[in-house]
Amino acid sequence: MTETTQTKPYIDAFPAARGGAGDRLRPQREAALARFAALGFPTRRQEAWRFTDLRPLERQSYPPSAGGAAPAAALDALRLAGATHRLVLVNGRFAPELSDLAALPEGAWIGPSAQALAERPALSLLDAGEIDGAQPFAALNAAFFTDGAVIALAPGVVLDRPVEIIHLGRAEAPVSLHLRSRIELAPGSRARVVESFAGTGPYWTNAVLGVELGAGATLEHVRLQDEGVEAIHLSLARLRLGAGACYDAFALTLGGALSRQDVQVELAGEGARVGLGGVYLLRGTQEATTALLVDHAAPGCTTRELFKGVIGDRAHGAFQGAIAVRPGAQKTDAHQLNKNLLLSRRATVDTKPALEILADDVKCSHGATVGDLDEGALFYLRARGIAEAEARRMLIEAFAADALDMVEDTALRAHLAGHLQRWPGLRESRET
Amino acid sequence: MLEIRNLHARIADGREVLKGIDLAVAPGEVHAIMGPNGSGKSTLASVLSGRPGYEVTQGGVTYLGRDLLALGPDERAREGVFLAFQYPVEIPGVNNMYFLRAALNSVRRARGEPDLDAGQFLKTVRAKLKLLEIGDDLLQRAVNVGFSGGEKKRNEIFQMAMLEPRLAILDETDSGLDIDALRVVAHGINKLRAPDRAMVLITHYQRLLDYIEPDRVHVLSGGRIVKSGDKTLAGELEKHGYAAFEAA
Ligand SMILES: Nc1ncnc2c1ncn2[C@@H]1O[C@H](COP(=O)(O)OP(=O)(O)OP(=O)(O)O)[C@@H](O)[C@H]1O
Ligand SMILES: [Mg+2]
Repeated sequence: MTETTQTKPYIDAFPAARGGAGDRLRPQREAALARFAALGFPTRRQEAWRFTDLRPLERQSYPPSAGGAAPAAALDALRLAGATHRLVLVNGRFAPELSDLAALPEGAWIGPSAQALAERPALSLLDAGEIDGAQPFAALNAAFFTDGAVIALAPGVVLDRPVEIIHLGRAEAPVSLHLRSRIELAPGSRARVVESFAGTGPYWTNAVLGVELGAGATLEHVRLQDEGVEAIHLSLARLRLGAGACYDAFALTLGGALSRQDVQVELAGEGARVGLGGVYLLRGTQEATTALLVDHAAPGCTTRELFKGVIGDRAHGAFQGAIAVRPGAQKTDAHQLNKNLLLSRRATVDTKPALEILADDVKCSHGATVGDLDEGALFYLRARGIAEAEARRMLIEAFAADALDMVEDTALRAHLAGHLQRWPGLRESRET
Repeated sequence: MLEIRNLHARIADGREVLKGIDLAVAPGEVHAIMGPNGSGKSTLASVLSGRPGYEVTQGGVTYLGRDLLALGPDERAREGVFLAFQYPVEIPGVNNMYFLRAALNSVRRARGEPDLDAGQFLKTVRAKLKLLEIGDDLLQRAVNVGFSGGEKKRNEIFQMAMLEPRLAILDETDSGLDIDALRVVAHGINKLRAPDRAMVLITHYQRLLDYIEPDRVHVLSGGRIVKSGDKTLAGELEKHGYAAFEAA
C-alpha cells in the first residue's frame, strides 16, 4: 500500500476504527482504503481541485471520531418550525434521543444508515465507484463511515412533512466524521429534505450522499452548511434521475474554515429536471468551493443553476460548473449563472463554467460575474438617511435574494433568509 | 439655514469643478440655480449631500449652524438634508416600500419621533401618493427598477414628501417630465413649501419657475456663481442665453 505523510495517519487508524467481524462491508472498506491510499490527497494540478486550497486539511491529521454527545439546545437554531421527521447525527453517529422518527407514513423508510445496512440490505450505500473511482475522500469515507441518513420511499409515496437531517460536530481535538447517506425515491414518490451541518471545534465533516430518483419522483433538497469556524466540510452528492424525475436543490454556505461541495447529477431518463441554487457567504479567511457536474445523458432534460457568492475580508470562493450534453441528448435546455460580490479588496473568487456539448439541438447558456457593491446604490440609500451598515446589509440581501427565490416553500425560504440575515458579514463595515 | 462660503471642490482626476461658490439660503426661501451643462450644478448638489468622490479643497458649508461637510451622507439626511437626484439610481432586489420605511424610520428616529407601525406608514404613503398622483403599483416594485424617466422623478419628490426635509436640493427634477407631470410635480413641491423649509432648485427651464416662484435665481457658470437676481433673471436667461454671463 502506498503511503504519504498525508494518507498514512488514516491508513494506520483503519484497523482500530473498524474491526467487528460482523461488519459485512469489511472487504469493500478495505478495498476503498486501498483506493484512497493509491489516489492520495488531490492536488491543485488536478483540474477538479484547481481552486481548492486544501492546506487546512493537510496541516494536521483528523483521526476518525469515536463518537460524542450534544445537548438538545444545539439544535435550536437549526430546527424547522412545524412538524418534521427528524434524524440527528452527532459526530457521525445516530442520536436517537435528539431524533423524532415516530410518525413515518406507510411506504417510507427513514433511519440511520447503520440500521439500514442491517434492515435494508438491498440499499446500495456503497457501490463499485468507491473502489475504482477518482474521489479519494469518497473512498476514505467508504472505508470509515460510521452512519448517515437513509430515506427510501415506495412508489407513489408523498411525504407529509419535511425530513430534517441535522449533523452536529463536537470536537476538542481534531477528528473526522465520515457520513454516508442514501436517498432512494421510487417512481412517483416525493420528499422534501433539509440537511443542516453545524458544530464546534476542529472537526472534519466528510459526507457522501447517493440519490436515486425513479421515474417522475421529486426531491426538494435544502442544505444549510453552517459548520463551526474551525471546521472542514467536504461533501459529495451523486445523483441519478430517471425519466421525468425532478431534483430541486438549494445550498446556503456560511460556515467552516474550508468547505467544498461537489454535486454530480446524471440525467439518465428523458425529461428529467434539475435545479441547483445556492448562496455562499464568506468572510475572514474562509475558503469555499462549489463544484457542479450535470451530465445530460438523455434527451429533453432541463438544468437550471444559479449560485450567488458574497465574499468579504480575505476569503476565497470558487465556483466550477460543468455541464455535459452527450450525443443524442437533444432538446437539452441548460442554463448556468454564477454571480459574485466582493466586499473587500482582498477578497477573491474563481468562477469557471465548463460546457461540453455533443448534441446539436440544444439550448445552453452560462454566465459569470464578479463585482463590487454598487457605490451608486449605496449612496442613494445613505442619502435617504439609512446608515451605511444597514444600507450595505440591504444591498447584500438584495443580491442574494433571487437565488433564494429558487426555494419554493415559503416557510423554508424564511428559515434560510433568517440564517442569511444573521451572517456577521452583513454587519461589518468595509475593510480595504 | 444654509451658508456656503468660497467652496472649492475637485473630482477624482484632480480637476477643480467648483471654484469658489458663495450662497446663503434662509429658511422658507426657494433658490433656483441655472447654468450651462457641465458648469458644476450637480457637483454642488453632490458635495452638499456628501457623495463620495469629491474633495473639498477650500471653503466650507454651514447648515443650521453645523459644519455640514463633517457629516456622512446618511447623517446629513437624518439632519434634514434631501437631494432629489438628477439620475435616480435603480436598486434591483430592494423593494420600494421596504426601502421607504427604512428611510422614514431612520429619519424619524433622528428627530426623536417613534417608528411608524405598518398601518400608520401605509396611511402616510397613501396621502403622499395622492398628492403626486402616483399609482401604488410603483411601490411594490424594486427601487426605481423599470420606472420610466418621469416616474423616477416623481418618485424622488414622493420620497421628499415622505421624509419632510428641512433643506431640499432638487437637481433637474423637471427634466424628463411631460407637461402634465410637470404641473403635478410642481404642485407637489409647492405644497411642501413651508416657513422652516428651504429649497434649492437646479433647472434649465423657466417653465418650472413659472409654477414654483423662486425668491432668488443664480447663474452658475464655470464653477462660480456669476450672477444672482430675483425671479426675472430666469426670463432674461431664457431670452438671451448664458453667453452674457459666461465666466471669464
Ligand atoms: N464624478 C465625476 N467624475 C468625473 N467627472 C465629473 C464628476 N462629477 C462631475 N464631473 C465633471 O465636472 C463637470 C461639472 O459636472 P456637473 O455634473 O456638476 O455639471 P452640471 O452643471 O450639473 O451639468 P448638467 O446641466 O449637464 O447636468 C463636468 O465636466 C463633469 O464631467
Ligand atoms: Mg447636472
